[in-house]
Formats: sequence, structure tokens, C-alpha cells
Amino acid sequence: MKTLSPHPTFKWLCALCLGVAAISWLLRPRPETAPASSAVAVVPASQLHGNVTVWSWNIAAKSLQQLIPGFEKRHPNVHVAVDMTGARMTTRLMLSLASGVGAPDVSQFELSDAPRYIATGKLADLTPVAAKYRSMFPAYLWDNCMMDGKVYAIPWDMGPCAVFYKRSLFAKYGVDPQRIETWDDYIEAGRTILRKSKGQTKMLPLGSNALNWMFQMLIQQTGGQVFDGQGRIAISSPASRRALDIMRRLRAAGICSDVPVFSQEYLASINADTIASYPAAVWMAGTMRDTARDYGNGDITWGVFRLPAVERGGKRVANVGGSVLVIPAQCANKEAAWAFIEFALCTREGQLAQYRNFNLFPGFLPALQHPGVDDPDPFFGGQRAGGVFATDVTQISRLNMTPQWSAAMGYVDQDLSHWAATGMHNEGFFENVERKLAKRLGVPVAPGNAGPRARR
Amino acid sequence: MTPQRAEWLAEVKRHRHFYLFVSPFFVLFAVFGLYPLLFSLFLSFTQWDGLTAMHWVGASNFAAMLDDEILWRSLWNTLIIGLLYVPPMMILAFLFAQILNTQWLKMRAFYRAAFFLPCVTPMVVIAIVFGLIFSAEKGVLNYLLGLAGVQSVPWLTSEEWSKVSVAILVMWRWTGYNMVLMLAGLQGIPVEYYEAAMVDGATAIQRMRAITMPMMRPTFLFCGLLSLLGTIFMFDEIFVLTSGGPGTSSTNFGMYLFNISFGDFRFGYASAVAYSVAVAVFAVSWLVSRLNRQGLEGA
Repeated sequence: MKTLSPHPTFKWLCALCLGVAAISWLLRPRPETAPASSAVAVVPASQLHGNVTVWSWNIAAKSLQQLIPGFEKRHPNVHVAVDMTGARMTTRLMLSLASGVGAPDVSQFELSDAPRYIATGKLADLTPVAAKYRSMFPAYLWDNCMMDGKVYAIPWDMGPCAVFYKRSLFAKYGVDPQRIETWDDYIEAGRTILRKSKGQTKMLPLGSNALNWMFQMLIQQTGGQVFDGQGRIAISSPASRRALDIMRRLRAAGICSDVPVFSQEYLASINADTIASYPAAVWMAGTMRDTARDYGNGDITWGVFRLPAVERGGKRVANVGGSVLVIPAQCANKEAAWAFIEFALCTREGQLAQYRNFNLFPGFLPALQHPGVDDPDPFFGGQRAGGVFATDVTQISRLNMTPQWSAAMGYVDQDLSHWAATGMHNEGFFENVERKLAKRLGVPVAPGNAGPRARR
Repeated sequence: MTPQRAEWLAEVKRHRHFYLFVSPFFVLFAVFGLYPLLFSLFLSFTQWDGLTAMHWVGASNFAAMLDDEILWRSLWNTLIIGLLYVPPMMILAFLFAQILNTQWLKMRAFYRAAFFLPCVTPMVVIAIVFGLIFSAEKGVLNYLLGLAGVQSVPWLTSEEWSKVSVAILVMWRWTGYNMVLMLAGLQGIPVEYYEAAMVDGATAIQRMRAITMPMMRPTFLFCGLLSLLGTIFMFDEIFVLTSGGPGTSSTNFGMYLFNISFGDFRFGYASAVAYSVAVAVFAVSWLVSRLNRQGLEGA
């Protein structure tokens, strides 16, 4: 039988045609911006109907799920489904936004990721509906939710920081948390605990994946920035050097544990005497409660004290983390989606329920000022822990988070772990980071130090 | 139309059913293989963050690679990690395959499954277990070293040891897989060769040198090639164990590619880097297979 063998040129021609067709299809003209109806209009509740899909993760998703019955009572014709899409949610959302299909009606973002997505123009304009809530959230939260004076995201929770400590261990080693006012006091207390426990108990976890958080926390106290008001790189400053010096002193004192945050050992330490305290954001309380409830033996009791200051009388607040909710521009039922966001984030009822059940600290000030936030907390030995976190939240220094923030922090994280692994040489550290960021992000370096951010 | 062309078209028409039967592969390949390949080639000449409009930048992505120290470091790390684990893994895999190939061994299927198990174990489980094994403070490995009087090793927190930790994990995970390949290779050697050699009075070492090793050469090369590709594009093992750190000390090429794509959202640059390295890998693979063919022909 004769074998069939097409000419090689023909095969190449087919492949080429297919390739050209594919690329032409890809480059076909498409509308660059969101549809004209991208702004969300104010609609009476009675006219709302349809389904609303929400993408969220972990505790945040559970927190939204518990609000559904209350919301559907108010809006019986709207049905909400919260999809706990889990890992790499933002990557999948990005693909949906890029392709113009498949995005949910409402999505969660980290506060720090929001500017990057807002800059793409793929999110619905919430300016008309959000106008009346502008004064009800701290100004620094809005900063990450806006571009060119328009609102594209609604702040959800925030992450004011304090120090979670094991009351029982502090008492055992004779350390009074009320006397810890500065990081120097904190280091000294750590040394005492380390000495009295014969090296068994470290003061805090500061492994390589915690350095970035600590740095963010500290530059808010020293007045540092990663980017200046114009989005230029401003990390090499005396304020940053001061923050790094505190980190060096913490590690050099031998009081830091190297266990990675959220690793098995870290979670195990919550119920053991290996680590005495955890400088962290308020949302860490949820993890602590869960871990202590599931594996705790009851010997360990907990308390909270305010973040130590850089110097006596200095700032004792900082914010790490926090989330926002957005509506993708491709959402077909924006008004119903907004109704759910409004109920969850812009009502005292919605935010307080999330705080009580899942420790999501309300960014919504009327909820934050509610006396219920400061109720004695049995987990913290009856201490009014909510009040510790709520103190001075409006004075938190805002970090200028540009669309390049996440990428920049990835490199800062990389360099900090290199710094920790190679003997903590502070000299020239920020000059190197600055050069690296400028080259990799294509962003200019600011002349001089960072100033306050210009309003967008 | 020339007579040849007409004849050719007639042949195609006559065999159209067969073309129809093989078409699913070609359609799927075109959509999921060829299209991403061509799109990625196109992307490598653009600047694109995945969401906003693309910008044609010509060959500047390729030029930028020359000055990208993290890229070169990641390739260097890839080489070091590969050198740390490939030779011992191949030796162990060959030894285990030899043992499993002996006639006197009982419960062979059990051992085969046991050695193969690590490469089908979910990465999440591996991450937890190896995190506990390598922990500097309370890790099992350091505990055992302590019993032997050896000072504890900063497995995951030192820039030198992080590569070793990754190499150990990879070796543990893939030795069984290579062992199965080598076992298949060993079982493919005709027994008659060994019988003839034994009749001629060849010792075990002589049989190994004159029969097993030359006959296993294609298998060794195949395993070597798979390991080369595996090391370059490895991701899971590094992601769960060190995330490429401390610093960039354990960032291999796969991890680096992930970082610039889904950390920095520089899809154009990532495509340029991926294409360049893929071409280099293809060249090396081609060279290896050519050398292999020459070796076999010369044998």
C-alpha cells in the first residue's frame, strides 16, 4: 500500500496559518475600557433581584457566609453564594478580568493588592453609592480604594497591631507587660524571659517570612515609606534604617525564634512555652483562638498589650493587612452586588457580626465606636482587648501603596531574608534594595526622603 | 492542478475517516499546545501585565535578560541543586533497581510500591513533614545529629544549606520514579546475554561492566534528561520548602519564572526568559540524544 506523505512545506504552511490565525484572533480589536454602565447606580431595595456570587477566602469567606440569612431577609429576591475559592484566587480573578468573563459579582482583595487591580480599569466605579460612607472609614483605608478621585473598592477590615502575650509565662518569669513601652523595653523583657527559662522560651517569632511584616510595622512607627507621594521609590531613608536597626537588635539579642509564621511549629508554639509573645495584627487573634481551642491544654492564658514604640511617647500603632470588596466591571447585576457589600461593610450590624464571630476588625468607624467592640474578652482573661487595638487607629501612618506595592514587598522580603541569613549587615542595605526596586519595577527613585502622599 | 497534487488530494479524501479519528489529538494540541506556544512567543516581544493593553517592545525583553542578576543566580542555583541531587539519585535508583531485579528477593511488589510512593504523595503532606524534619530549632534531623554529637544545621535559614535541603527533598521524592524506569531497563536486557557470559566464566563485575552498563546507557540518558528538565522547571518542592529563600539562595529557574509572572505580573519578560531557556534546554537535549545515538551506533 502506498504511504501518504504530505509535502513538508504544506505542513509548515498549515502551522503558520494556524499561528497567524491565533495571533490575529488574539489581537482582534476589543473595547479597551469597561462598558459605559460601569458605575453602580442607587436603586431602591424593592427593585433588586437575582443572584450574587462572591469570591473570598478562609475566615473572611466564612464571615460573609454567616451574613447571608440577615441580608436575604432584607432583600428576599437577591440570593448570595460565597465561594471559598482558596489559594491563588487573585491569579484566577486576574485571568477572569483579563478575558472579560468568569469573574464573580463581588470579590475580595487584600488592601495592598487593591491599587494594582484598580489601575487596570476592570472594576466598577462605586463613587455614587460610596459617597455617603466616605467619612465613616479611616482616611488611610480609602487611599488604597481610589484612583483619580473615584472609588473602586470598599474597605472591609483593618489590621491594627499589638502584642499578643502569654499571660501565664509573663507571670511565671516576673515580667510586667504594662512596663513595656518601647522596643528597648521589649528586648529587655525578652532577655529576662530567655534567661529565666534557661533558653527554652523565646520572646517572639521572627523567622525569614515574618521580617517583611515587622518591617512594615516598624516603618509606620518611624515614619518611613517604600514609595513616596508620587509613587517613586523612597525606601532608603533614615526612618527605614531605624526600623532595620530595631530588627537587628531584636535578632541579635537572641530572643527571636526562627520558626516560619503559620508553619506547624508556629501553630504548635501557640500552645507551648517556646514563644512568649507575638507582635501581630488583630486578625491573628482568630488563628490563636482556633489553635488554642483545638489543641490547647488550658495551661496557657492570653493577654494583649499595645505595640512598643520606637521611643518613649512615640506612636504605638501600625496596620498590617486588611481587605476590601470590589465589583468587577463585567458584573451584570451590579446593584444587587452593591446591596450585599453595603450590608456587609457599611452597616454596624454587618461589621459587628464579623468582628464578634471571626475577629475581623471593622474598618467602619460607627461599628468600631460601638461599645460592643470593647467588651471583656474571655479568651484574653476578661481583658478589654478590642479597646487595645482600637486605640489611636485613626492616627495610623498611611503607607503609600502603589500598584507596584506587592511586587516591591516581594523583593524587600527577599532582601530581608538574605540580610538575616548573612549576618545582618545594615550598611548599604537600603541602597541595594533601592537599586533593585528601581531596576525591576521600572520606577524612579525619589530625591531625598518620602513625604506625605498626594491625594489621588 | 498537477497530477501529483490531484493524486494526493484523492488519497486524503479516501482516508478521511482515519484523519477524522486522529483529529482529536491535533485539535487539542492546537488549542492547548500550539496556541499557548505561539502566544507566548508573541508575548516575549511585548510588555504586558495581563490586564492592561500590551505594548510592543521588540527585542528589549531579551536584552534585559543579560543584565538580570536574579535570573543568572537562579540558573546557577538550578545547576548547583541539580549537581547536588542528580548523581546520588541516579546511583541510588540504579542500586535499588538492581536489588529489585534479583530473583531471590521476596515481596518485590511491596518494595516497588514503597519506593514509588514519595512521587505520588501530595505536596501539602510533604511540605508539613519536611518542614518538621528540617526545622532548625526542633527538627528531627537536627535532633538525630545532636545525638551523634554533630552541631545543629540551619537547614532552611542558611543560604548554603537551603540548596542542600531542597536537594534532599527532591532526591527522596524522585529516586523511586527513576528506579522504576531503571528496573524496566534492566528487565529489558535479554537473560541469554548473562547466561552466555556465565558459560564463558565472566564474573559478576565483568557482567555488569560488559553487559548491564552498555545496555542501560539509553535508560541512564533518558533519566538524566528527565532530571535536567525536572531541575530547571521544578517548582512545588522549592515553593513548599523554602519559597526560594533565604534571599534567592534556593530560587531555581521554575521558581524565578513563577515570581516574575505571578509576583511581578511581567508576562512579556517571563515569556522571553522562558523561551530563551527552553531553546537552550532543547539544544542540550538534542546534543545529548545525538551523542547517545552516535554512542549506540559506535558500540
